[in-house]
Amino acid sequence: MSYNSTGGLQPSTSGGGGISGGGSGGGGVGGVGVRGWPSATSVSSSGKRIQKEMLELNTDPLTDCYAGPKGDNLYHWVSTIIGPQGSPYEGGIFFLDIIFPGDYPFKPPKVTFKTRIYHCNVDSAGNLNLEILKDGWSPALTISKVLVAIKSIITNADPYNPLNLNIAELYLTNRAKHDEIAAEWTRRFAK
Amino acid sequence: MADRETAKFSASSSSSAEEEAGGTLSNESSSLFQCCVCLDLLYKPIVLACGHSSCFWCVHKAMHQWRESHCAICRRPYKHFPSICQLLHLLLLKLEPADYKRREMEVLEEEKNAGVYSPQFVDSDVGKLHTVNDNGTSTANIKDRRPEDFEHLENIIKRKVSVDDVMCSLCERMLYQPAVLNCGHVYCQSCLSDLSGEPLQCHVCQSLHPGDFPNVCLNLGHFLEEVFPREYAMRREEVQLKKAQRPTANPSPNSVQAQKATEKIGLRDMYFCLSEDMSDVHVGVGCDSCGVYPIIGKRYKCKDCTEAIGFDLCEACYNTSSKLPGRFNQQHTPDHKFELDDSQLLRNILMRSALQLDISEQGHQLVSVPEDDDPHDYENHDDEGNGYEEK
Repeated sequence: MSYNSTGGLQPSTSGGGGISGGGSGGGGVGGVGVRGWPSATSVSSSGKRIQKEMLELNTDPLTDCYAGPKGDNLYHWVSTIIGPQGSPYEGGIFFLDIIFPGDYPFKPPKVTFKTRIYHCNVDSAGNLNLEILKDGWSPALTISKVLVAIKSIITNADPYNPLNLNIAELYLTNRAKHDEIAAEWTRRFAK
Repeated sequence: MADRETAKFSASSSSSAEEEAGGTLSNESSSLFQCCVCLDLLYKPIVLACGHSSCFWCVHKAMHQWRESHCAICRRPYKHFPSICQLLHLLLLKLEPADYKRREMEVLEEEKNAGVYSPQFVDSDVGKLHTVNDNGTSTANIKDRRPEDFEHLENIIKRKVSVDDVMCSLCERMLYQPAVLNCGHVYCQSCLSDLSGEPLQCHVCQSLHPGDFPNVCLNLGHFLEEVFPREYAMRREEVQLKKAQRPTANPSPNSVQAQKATEKIGLRDMYFCLSEDMSDVHVGVGCDSCGVYPIIGKRYKCKDCTEAIGFDLCEACYNTSSKLPGRFNQQHTPDHKFELDDSQLLRNILMRSALQLDISEQGHQLVSVPEDDDPHDYENHDDEGNGYEEK
């Protein structure tokens, strides 16, 4: 069983450069971990799964959190997270962009902050350093679990795996100053 | 849709055992057998050695193409793509006939679009996976269980789930703490541990179980405990009594066979140890016999199978001349011929992509040449070039 012979490698790369393909759906993960058979993860099966998650979020919403499709594109969601109480981000409303790949849930969704946030795990472009959105992704994870993880990292920053070194350094050396700036940014950008 | 189905099920369940669990079952039977990947009813369920289950395609699509794979729920590593658990498949067909049929239609539609199929068992084909190795090797008790598998679908649907549907083929009792082998056959975990042979061997299909000792299949175990609470409690007592009476395990009746098998498995594991450099990995190619994915080392490809997905064997399975049918419904027969194939070998793929890169770079140079095709300029350049060469 050469699984990929029907999709994946051959059609996308026409016989060469096999592992850089990624097929139709959501390539772009730089040649690593490309699964064969992307054509089977058709729009319908990934779409069905996204619809199920949407229904689940509607019937059982998260606290301080909202997520749903941006327009009529099922694969492009927006989300809002309310800054957790007791953190310097308290009271802020943070917008996030969620893009589902065509072969979701076998590839992680891409989540970026649209609201500026002073946080060592978020870079200036809004990219987020979260293990479960990279190699730690599992198809059993859902967008609501991802949002819970994001909420958790907002409150408990991980300065040892930073995207912004300066903020991480300040976080470790002068926490009070860090919190002050973070609260200031929240007032300026997230309200 | 699912809720209506389960409601119907609980309403129509009139047998005493089911009534006892009636209230909880209607809520839980749909969530109990939900696939964690597609969030739908399990379809053609596969149970990993860790005891977690998913649909055939959900497991396969989540597998890593050139490294070991990890369970979506507990992340426990595994290397072999297990076969469909037919007991669970038939059970679900009886439990949620309408929903299961809907899933069948949906999946078949997708398979048609992709041109690749999962193992098809319909009507008399039910149990096809078993039949191949059955001739000759099967024992009397297995033969007793056979006819049930060949019943017509309608009959299966009409019948309610009974203890007969969830029997262990070793102890011939209701399953207690069911564990599923790589071949998809289900046993009581205690029965399997009694076998004591190092690589477990299935008593139904005789295939070896690679990888770890299987954990209890969680959703099937919970289901049995809920639906047959009295029987399950009885079986628990029995097993505990047996354990108390016999503190040391019996020596395996087929220890010689087991030893042979150890060597085979040992060899296979060695491939994985040696392959740290990954150059021996056949990207995205799995063995249709033992299910190892990807194949590491030699890959034997069938020359006569016409299906796009092909039919491949790893070296160990090629040497044992496995007669199992393909895992994607290929019409492979034992008289087909094999050839060694290394087109998907990682190092060859890398070489091809390097070549392609080279070609595209040359292409850029070709594009840039016409920019200065003024004859004088060209001559000048030529002179300069010659001059450098002389120096």
